[in-house]
Amino acid sequence: MRIIATITFLGVLCTTTYSFGNTARSACVSNHFSLVRSFHQADTAKTDTAKMDTATVGIKQAAKAISKKLESKGSNLDPKKLSIFPAISLQQYLKGEAAGLYATEPSSEPGTVQNMFIHGTSQPLLSQREVFQTQPLVILDGVPLIGEHPFAFDIQQFKFDRIGPAINPLTNINMANIKSVQVLTGLNATAIYGPKGANGVILLTTNDPTSKRRITFDSYVGVATPQSVTTVNGKFENDFRRQFYNKYTANGVYGDNDVYPLYLSDSLNNDYYGKSDWSDKYYGSQIQYGINASISGGTDRANFRFSVGNLRSGGIADNTKADRYDTRFIINMKPVQWLTFSAMVNANRLQRDRNRNVRDRLATVNYIPDLSSPIAPNKDKYAQYLGQFNKGFDNNRSNIVEGYGKVGLDFGKFKFVTTLGLDYFEGYRDIFYARTLLQTTNFASNYFGYNQRATVDNIATYDYDLNEDSKFNFSVGNTIQYDTYRYSYAYAYKGSNDFIKLNLLQSDPNRGDYLEPFVYRRELVYKFLDRTKNNQLSFYGKADYSYKDKYNFSALLRADASSNQQPTSRWFYSPVISAGWDMKKEFFANDDTFSELNLRASVGRMGRYENFDNYAQGPQYTAFIGFTGNLIAPGYNGIATLTRPYSSGSAGYGLEWAYTDQANLGLDASFLNDRVHASIDGYYKHDKNMLLGIPSAAEYGYTSVIKNGMAIRNTGVDLVLSGDIMPKTNTVSWTSSINVNYNQNKLTALPGGLNQIVLGDRQLKVGESVDSYWLLTNQGIYNTDAEVPSNGAGGKMAYNGITLKAGDPKWLDVNGDNAITDADRTLQGHALPVVSGGWKNDFGYKNWTLSLNFYYNLGRDLINQEMANRFDFVNREGLNSINSVREITFWEKRGDYSKYPIYNPWSSVSPYQVNQDIFLENASFIKLRTVSVGYDLTSMFKKKSPNVERFYVYGSVNNVFTLTNYTGQDPELAGFTGYDTGYGMQIPRTYTIGVKMDF
Amino acid sequence: MKKIILLSLVFVALLAGSCKKALNISSTRVVNEANFWNTLEDSRAALMGVYGLTRAALADNNGHWIYGDARMGNFDSPIRQDLKAIIKNDLNASYPVVNQLSNWTRFYAIINAANIFLERVPEVKANDQRYTQNNMDVDIAQVRFLRAYAYFYMVRIWGDVPFITSSRDGSFENRPRSSKEAILEFVQSEMLASAQVLPYRYSVNDVQQPGFYYNENEFRWNGALIRKLTAYGILTSVSAWQGKYTDVIKYANIVTTDAGKAGMGYTSTNFLTQRNGFFYDKRNEHLLAFGFVFGHQDASFTGNIESLVLAEPVVNKAIPDMFVPKDSILKIFRETNDGRFNIDTTGTTHSQAYFTNFLGRYPIFSKIKVMQDGSTDPTFRIYSSAIVVSRLEDITLLRAEAYAALGETTNAINDLNTIRRLRYNVDNKGQLNESASTFVEYNAIKNGPVLDAIFLERQKEFMGEGMHFYDQVRYNKIKQNNAKFMNLINTGGIYWPISRELINQNPLLVQNSYWK
Repeated sequence: MRIIATITFLGVLCTTTYSFGNTARSACVSNHFSLVRSFHQADTAKTDTAKMDTATVGIKQAAKAISKKLESKGSNLDPKKLSIFPAISLQQYLKGEAAGLYATEPSSEPGTVQNMFIHGTSQPLLSQREVFQTQPLVILDGVPLIGEHPFAFDIQQFKFDRIGPAINPLTNINMANIKSVQVLTGLNATAIYGPKGANGVILLTTNDPTSKRRITFDSYVGVATPQSVTTVNGKFENDFRRQFYNKYTANGVYGDNDVYPLYLSDSLNNDYYGKSDWSDKYYGSQIQYGINASISGGTDRANFRFSVGNLRSGGIADNTKADRYDTRFIINMKPVQWLTFSAMVNANRLQRDRNRNVRDRLATVNYIPDLSSPIAPNKDKYAQYLGQFNKGFDNNRSNIVEGYGKVGLDFGKFKFVTTLGLDYFEGYRDIFYARTLLQTTNFASNYFGYNQRATVDNIATYDYDLNEDSKFNFSVGNTIQYDTYRYSYAYAYKGSNDFIKLNLLQSDPNRGDYLEPFVYRRELVYKFLDRTKNNQLSFYGKADYSYKDKYNFSALLRADASSNQQPTSRWFYSPVISAGWDMKKEFFANDDTFSELNLRASVGRMGRYENFDNYAQGPQYTAFIGFTGNLIAPGYNGIATLTRPYSSGSAGYGLEWAYTDQANLGLDASFLNDRVHASIDGYYKHDKNMLLGIPSAAEYGYTSVIKNGMAIRNTGVDLVLSGDIMPKTNTVSWTSSINVNYNQNKLTALPGGLNQIVLGDRQLKVGESVDSYWLLTNQGIYNTDAEVPSNGAGGKMAYNGITLKAGDPKWLDVNGDNAITDADRTLQGHALPVVSGGWKNDFGYKNWTLSLNFYYNLGRDLINQEMANRFDFVNREGLNSINSVREITFWEKRGDYSKYPIYNPWSSVSPYQVNQDIFLENASFIKLRTVSVGYDLTSMFKKKSPNVERFYVYGSVNNVFTLTNYTGQDPELAGFTGYDTGYGMQIPRTYTIGVKMDF
Repeated sequence: MKKIILLSLVFVALLAGSCKKALNISSTRVVNEANFWNTLEDSRAALMGVYGLTRAALADNNGHWIYGDARMGNFDSPIRQDLKAIIKNDLNASYPVVNQLSNWTRFYAIINAANIFLERVPEVKANDQRYTQNNMDVDIAQVRFLRAYAYFYMVRIWGDVPFITSSRDGSFENRPRSSKEAILEFVQSEMLASAQVLPYRYSVNDVQQPGFYYNENEFRWNGALIRKLTAYGILTSVSAWQGKYTDVIKYANIVTTDAGKAGMGYTSTNFLTQRNGFFYDKRNEHLLAFGFVFGHQDASFTGNIESLVLAEPVVNKAIPDMFVPKDSILKIFRETNDGRFNIDTTGTTHSQAYFTNFLGRYPIFSKIKVMQDGSTDPTFRIYSSAIVVSRLEDITLLRAEAYAALGETTNAINDLNTIRRLRYNVDNKGQLNESASTFVEYNAIKNGPVLDAIFLERQKEFMGEGMHFYDQVRYNKIKQNNAKFMNLINTGGIYWPISRELINQNPLLVQNSYWK
C-alpha cells in the first residue's frame, strides 16, 4: 500500500503524468473499427502466436473490461493488409478503409500534407486554421501526436503551403510496426482522450515485443507510372483566344492600348508554336520501395523489439520523392510480478524533394517577377528552366520522434499506469535559388521549426465484482499536456553572387557590424521568430457496470482546463454515458440464428480544444500593420507598433469553450453461422458555441468580431457489412466487405442569432451545410443587348449595378428583383462527400489470395477553377500577381472546353468568375484502388525450417482506374475548399511486388 | 484498495494546484490589456501604430494613387481590367481591387486606434514617470491630427461617413453616415487644435518639444512625424476642399512663412525626380508623408506608385499596370522649357525626368522611381519611396488657387511663378539655364486664364502623387462649366460606392445615390 502511494506521489512530483492505461482505454471503446481482426485469412496462425507471446510481459489491458461489450464490431481490417499499399502517409493507408473517416489527397506529391475528417467537418473550412481545428487526434501507443500548427501562415502572403518543409506529420507511421488501427468516431470511445479528440481519434497500437526470439522482414519494390496526358502548344492557346477576339473585337485588339500576349503573337516562334514535348521532362516513372526488419526477444521478465525501415515514395511528376528512415525500439521489464516498466522510441527521418512549380516557388520567395510569358512547352526550354534549380538547392527534411516511458502497477483488481509521453516533430528547409530563376535576383532562406507535445498521464483502475452478476470497473485519471510550437525563419534577396549560397553573418565580435549579414544586404534580409504554447490539464473518472454480461453501462465525467481559454471560463465539465444490451444473450441464447446481436447507445458532451492562444488574452494588441501585398511591414519609422488586431478580428472578454454534443445508436449483428457481419451506427454530432469571426464593426476598424455561438450539426450513418460469400472452408473463398458513411452537414446557429453571413466568397446560412458553394446560376449567354431583360425601371437588368450587355452571362434572377446581385447566389453542392467508403473483396484459392479494393465518393462537387482560370485569361494575366502564374502544365489539355459559352472576357461583370454553377461539377467517383495477388509459402518453408512463421509474396497494382463524370483531373485532387486549381499532381498507378517473412 | 484510490485522488488534487501555473500562459504573439498602457514604450508603440495604420490604409491596394491619379485621370491601363474600370469611373465593376477600395474599414482602423490612444494614454502618464506631460501633449496632438486626417481622406472618397470619436471597446454599435460638412468642421477644428501644440521639428529643443523625443535624436524623426506645419498645411487642403479660400490663404501663409523653422524649402526638378532624391527616405521637406524607409526594412513590393507605373526599361517588367498615353503627355506638357518633360520640335525628348521611353509603345511614367535604396538596378522591384501627401509646392499652388478663386490675380500669379521658377528653368535641350533666376514666367496669352494655368501646373507637378482627382473636383466646382463633371458632383458620382460588404454588415448605411 505504501509503495503504491509513494509511487503515485513520485509520479505526481515528477510531473510525469500518466496515460490512461490500456485498461481504461478500452473500457469505453465503442463505435470504433478495429482494423485488426480480419487478417485471419492468410495469417491467423501468426496473430495468435503473437498474442500468446506478449502475454508474459508488458502493460496490458484488463481482462474483463466491461466496456469491451460496448464496442462496435465494425469493419475489420488488418494493418498487415493496409501495408500492402505503397503508402507513405497514414491518410493514404486509411483512405476508404473505415466508415466515417474521409481522407483527402489533394496532390500525390509524396510527403505533402493531407487532411482527414471523421463524420464531416465541424467548422466551415475557410482556411488552414479551421482545417487544423477539425483534424482527428492520432494516438500512437498512448502518445497523442501533435500536428503542425498553422500560426506560421500569419506571415505568409501566399498561403498555399506552410513555410518550412511542409511535410505531412503523419508520415511517421510505418504500417509494418502497427498491430492495430482503430478509428474511434463517437464520444463513447473518444471521450477518454479529451477535448483534443473531439473530432474523432485514430488509435494506433504498435507490435509488442515477444519473449521468443522472432525476426520479421518485409519488403516491396515497385514503380509508379504516370498516366498519359495530351499536350498542347501556343497554337492551341492562340486558337482558343482568337475565338474571343473574333467575337468581341473589331480588329483583333480590345481597346487602343490593349496588347496581345507576346508569346502568342508570333506564330513562327518555335518555342511556343513548336513541339510541345515538355511532358517527357515533367512526367516520369519513379521507383518506390519499402524495406522493414524487426527483431524481438527476451525472457518472461524482460523483452524488447527493435525495428528499422526505409521507404521511398516516388512521385510521377517533377521528379518529386520522399524518403523515410525509421527505427523503433520498445522494451518491457517486469522486475517484480506487480510492476512493469515499458519504454518506446519511434524515430523517423523524412526528406522530400519538392515540386518545382513556379507558383509554390514564388509563394516562398514572396516576390512576383514579370509573368507575362509562361515557360515554353518545348522540352529543351523546359530543361533549361529545370537546370537553373541545379545551381541552388531546396532541402526539406523533418525528424519525427515519439517516445514514452510507462510504469504499470498490477495488483490484480487494482491497476495503476503512469506514462510520460513525448511527440516531437521538427522541420528544416534550406533554399538557395540562383539568380537565373528570378530575373537575376537570387534568394536564400532557412527555416527551422518544431512542434512538441509532452504528456503526463496517470490512470488508476479498480475492478470490483459485487456478485456473480454485477461487475464494476472504476477508473480515475488525469493528464497534463504541454504543447509548444515554434519556428525561426529568415530569407534574403540579392546575394552578391551565385557561389555563396548562405546568408553569412559577420562573425567578428569586435566589429561594429557584428552579426550583420554581409553577403546579402541587411535591408533585404527578413527574419521571423514565433512561438506559441498551450497547456491542458484534465481529470476524469469513469465507472462501468455490467449485469449478467447482458446489460452494460458506462459513465464518464471529466474536467478539462486549457490555457487557451480565458481565466474566467478555463474549465469545462463534460459527461458521457453509454449503454449496451447483448440481445443475443437475451433472446437467442440457445438459438443459432444470430451468433452476435448487440445494441449500443451513448450520449454525451465534450469540450472542443482551442488551438490558438490569442483568444484567452481577451482584448489585445498586435504588431501587425501590414496591408494587401505586404503583410510583414515591420513597424513604423523603425519602431515596433502595437495596435488592435484589426485584420484578424476583435476578441473580447467572455469567450467560452466550444463543445460537441454527440449521441449514437448502433447495432452489431452476425448471422448465418457467422458468415455475415453487419454493424450499423447512426450518429448525431452537434458542435456548438464555436468561435467565428463575424464581419462587423467595420466602422471601428475591424474586419470581424470574434464571438462564440456557431453550431454545426453532422448527422449520419456508418454501415459496415461483410460476408463470406464463399466460406473459407471451400477451395475457392470469397469475402466481400463494404463500408459506407452517409453524412449530412448543417449549420444550425451563428453567433448573435444571425441567420446568414458572407465570408469572402462563401456564405454561411443557418439550415444549410457549411461545405456548400455560393454560386450564381448560369443560364447561357445574352447574344444581343436586346435579349437583356428590363430592370422594371426603364433600364436593362444589371449585375451589381453594371448593366448587362451582349456577351454577358445570363444569370438567374433568383429573387425576381430584376437585378443580379449577391442575393441571387444560392448555396449549391458539397465540397465534402455525402456518401463515401470502400468496398473490398478477398478471394482465396488454395494458397493464393486475390484482393480488389474500391474507394468511392458520392455527392461531392468540385469547382473547376482550372477551367475558370483558362477562360478568364484576360483578368488572370492583366494583374501581374500570383494568380497569373502559368505552370508547365498550362500546356496540358484538361477539361472540356465545349461546355462553356464564349462570353466577352473583357466585360466588367467578370463573366468567367469562378463562383457560378457552370464551373460546378459532380465529382463523385469510384476507383479501383488496389488489385493484389498473393501467395502464401508458409507451409512450404515450414517443412524446411520449422522456425518460419510466415512467408508471403504478393504483387499489386494501385489506382487501376477511376470512374467519374468529372471533366478535370482526378476528382480527388482538390484542396479542402473544393476548388480544383489544377495543381494536384496526378495520383500514379503503381505496380509493386513484395514479400513478408516472419521467423 | 479504496484507500488507494482515495490517496491517488488526493495527490491528483494536489497536482491540480501546482498546475494552475501551467494554465496561465501569457501569449508571446499578442499583448493583453494588463501588459499594455504601462510604460513609455507602450505609448510609443501605440502612437507609431496609428501612423503605421495610416500608411497601411493609404498603401493598401495602391489606393492612394488609384483614388487620386488613376480615377478619371491622365493614366490608361494596357491590360488591367480593374484599373480600366476605375479609370472610366466604373466603380461597381466586379473586380477585387475595386471592391476592396470601396471598403473603408482600414481608415476606421486609424480612427479606432486613435480613439483608443486618446482614451488610454493617461494611464501611461499615471504609470510611468518618464512619460512627461509635454510628451503626452505632443503625442495626443499627433493622434488627433491623424484621426482628423483619416476623416478628411474618407470624406473626399465617400462623402458622408459614420462619425465615431470613441473606441466603444467591446460594444460596437452601428452608426449611420454623418454629414460630410459637419465632419469637415470637426477635422478643421481638430487640426487647428493640434497645430497649436505641435513643434516645428522634433528633438531639436523646439519650445513646444524640449529634449529628445522618445529619447531619439532628430534624424530619427525628421519628416516622419506630424509637425506644426503639417497641421497647417493639411488645413490648407481641407479648407480648399471646403471652398473656404480665405482660410486657405491664412493657413498657407503660416506654412510659407515658417517653412524655414521647419527645415523646409522648395525642391528642384532634379532632386524631385532623382532616384534617391525627394521621395527617398524621410525628410523635413515632406510636409506630410508616410515613409517606407529602406534602412528600416520598410521597402515594399506594393503600396507605391512605382509598382503601378514602372516597367521596361526602368525595371524588368514587360508592361506597366498604367501609363500616360503619348497624346495626353503632349497635351499636358505642351509648354517648352519645362524641366520635367522636354520635347523639341523634332519630337526628340531631352529629359527622362518624368517619362522614360517616350517613343516606345508605353511611355513609362518615371518621375518617382526609388528602387531599393534609390539604386539603378532594374532587376528587383522593391521600392522605398515615401507616400508624400503634401509638400511646400502644394501649399503654394493651393494659395495661388485661392487667390485666383477670390480674384486676386496678381497674388495668384506670384505664387504660380514661385513654382514656375523651379520648373521652367531649362533650355530646349533640357539643360538647366545658366542663371538660376532665368525661367519662363506665366503668360496670360500663352497659358490662358490664371486659374486654368494653376490647375494645369498642379496636374504636372503632382502627377503620380495622388492629387489629380481631387484637383479636378475643386477645379470644376470653381469653373462650373463642365456639364458632365458637374453632374458627377451634383449626384454624388465623385464619391466611391460603399462596399456591399459594409452595407450588409451595417443596415444603417445607405449607398451613395449615384451608385445605387
